Amino acid sequence: MNAIGVLVRKEAGEVLMSGRGLTWLLALSGMLSVFTLLLVSNTELSLLDNAQVVYDMVGLVTALGALLALILGADSVAGERERGTLVPLLLTPLSRGQILAGKLGGLLIAWGVMYVLALPYLWAVGSTGQNMTDAMVVLAVLGTPVVLAFAFFGMGLGAVLGSLRSTLLTGLVVLILSASPLLLGPSLRQATVGRAFDAVNPFSGALNAYDAVIIDSQTLIAQAGHWLTILAWTGLALWFAVHGFKRVSR
Amino acid sequence: MRPFTATVLFVVLLATAAGSAQAGDVSVSLEPAPGNPSAPRMGDRLHFHSVIQNQGQQAVDGLIAWISLVQIDKGREQPMDLEDWSAHKAVTSASLAPGAKLDTDWPMRLIQAGHYRVVISAVSRNGVGLSASPFVDFEVLPKPVVESRRVLPVAFGVPLLVIGAMLWRRWS
Amino acid sequence: MLIDMQHVQLSLNDAPVLRDVSLSLGEGEIYGLLGPNGAGKSTTIAVVLGLLSPDAGQVQVLGQDPLVQPVAVHRQVGVLPEQNGFYGWMTGSDYLAFFARLYGRPHDAEAMRALMAQVGLAPRDGQRIATYSRGMAQRLGLARALVPQPRLLILDEPTNGLDPRGRREIHDVLIELSTRHGVGILLCTHLLDDVDRLCQRIGIMVEGRSVVEGGLSELIRSGHSAARFRVRLREAPPADTRRPTGVSFIRSEGEWWIADVDPSTQPEQAWRELLFLGWPIVEVVRAGGGLEDLYLSITEQRTAA
Repeated sequence: MNAIGVLVRKEAGEVLMSGRGLTWLLALSGMLSVFTLLLVSNTELSLLDNAQVVYDMVGLVTALGALLALILGADSVAGERERGTLVPLLLTPLSRGQILAGKLGGLLIAWGVMYVLALPYLWAVGSTGQNMTDAMVVLAVLGTPVVLAFAFFGMGLGAVLGSLRSTLLTGLVVLILSASPLLLGPSLRQATVGRAFDAVNPFSGALNAYDAVIIDSQTLIAQAGHWLTILAWTGLALWFAVHGFKRVSR
Repeated sequence: MRPFTATVLFVVLLATAAGSAQAGDVSVSLEPAPGNPSAPRMGDRLHFHSVIQNQGQQAVDGLIAWISLVQIDKGREQPMDLEDWSAHKAVTSASLAPGAKLDTDWPMRLIQAGHYRVVISAVSRNGVGLSASPFVDFEVLPKPVVESRRVLPVAFGVPLLVIGAMLWRRWS
Repeated sequence: MLIDMQHVQLSLNDAPVLRDVSLSLGEGEIYGLLGPNGAGKSTTIAVVLGLLSPDAGQVQVLGQDPLVQPVAVHRQVGVLPEQNGFYGWMTGSDYLAFFARLYGRPHDAEAMRALMAQVGLAPRDGQRIATYSRGMAQRLGLARALVPQPRLLILDEPTNGLDPRGRREIHDVLIELSTRHGVGILLCTHLLDDVDRLCQRIGIMVEGRSVVEGGLSELIRSGHSAARFRVRLREAPPADTRRPTGVSFIRSEGEWWIADVDPSTQPEQAWRELLFLGWPIVEVVRAGGGLEDLYLSITEQRTAA
């Protein structure tokens, strides 16, 4: 196994084998369970159109995935620095690029685990199977770059700010800002500024694509515009992570 | 007027009214599409077809026709927000020549169970009244969307799986 | 030369941290880097390791510029930083194997056991690092520094958290590494006993400058530093602030005063002059003369200046 692979395995181990990582996965599965139990216990919610339920679930998985990715990304740099485990890593015969690639690989595996954890929930609520497969595919294709964008952002922020607390605070504010169009009413979203923000916001892009594929039964190919917007943000966040990590000294 | 004559007149008027209604020069008809399911359920799609005809001698300018949906279950009467039901909520025409017709298909996705009434309304820029189609009533049957037999094992099982992993890690 | 550092300067956030630092370390040498807190020792180590870029000066580590060839340098350097963290969820063996893989070294269980035995670390089978004592963690950190079979070891407070027997064991390991394997060791510590026992050469830093560098024995013997005396006074010294040249009174300890006399000044001449100025001197005793006095006199002089 090459050095990057060794590092990926360690990073993935931090998520899957450490108490901290498993606690976060428990929190994720707990939130998904609460949502699905609400669906069963509440008459109104349980009569929601099936596609709507699947859409809501996919949106929730993406949001939770982005939140967890932000936390893990921040912890992989700022957290390790505070715990004193980053410097020994920087002093190994690995380039900064290799170390970063290892950490990114670990975060990708963490998202993979979250995605796999979410699949039983999608199966459980997608009882008639309408667009359930499409939902799983669109979550993988569009949800992954959204989640990775926040992971890269957390890493870059951790490298620049240094403190885990500052990194998490700043990252959460940005995450909430990204999600803010979803909290606005339809009329505000239809205003010029709202539409402009919607067009460039990766979160909105993903949710609009989910709506189109899961509810309106459009094809995945037709979501290329949303996908490109999201990829642009992911690329920007990756540049931020690479640039910030190069400057980490101790 | 003798009762018999009044009755005949009334029947003729009624027969004329069936299938179309008119106010002024614009008539609007509405019928369910032949391919609609006979017992539609939540999640199904219905289609309605309307024909808007200019029955006057003058062109009708600035014509707007829109679809309205109301729930008519007793105690739950309310107009419905078509946000999730239909993306096609209105049709316009800059000018409808005398005798010309505007055919429109109105697709609809059934979001909620209950009894409903749909109607097409039309106004024009130079018209003085509202033209409305006859009502079309339909019932949407409920469908259990989320099966508790599937949800409960997953909702409890997945977190238990993660807890199991934590305990195994702690004690191994 | 394993480390050749000449007149390095560095500012961080517009504040000068290193003003003029020079340091050289050869093969098989143990070099003690001393200085008060905030002197710039950790920053100097960061520059040696290529983690910080100096504003001026030259740095060569193992014949290479650590900024230009960091990977090549890191491949042959083992480091025990002061803030020493671990992955608590791993076992010690797994942890060392992880780093061994990164360094491209043997990482089988046998090799890891040998490494742990070398530093006197004997955890229970499967014991996670999170349950290690402080001393065990320190030994694990040292074992990690030895994973690359380095030519150069940089150790920041390596005996932190160890009891006297543990410290002695680590000393023996370091001495063997330097004498038998020619490993150069840069030792950064506040424990002067460790320096006394281990180091052939030392460098003392004060406020970002290398003040003194050289062989430990020579520095102590040559009077490079001021001679320290304890002077007992019958009563408080006179208000007259004149002093003979070359005499510095550092502090008072009750009726005794600690005084340093420059190497260029004859102590007896200094006492005669003080008596002439009215100092009620009762007794003068020579104080120490070892590394502690050397260190204290140099750092206090420089700080006072």
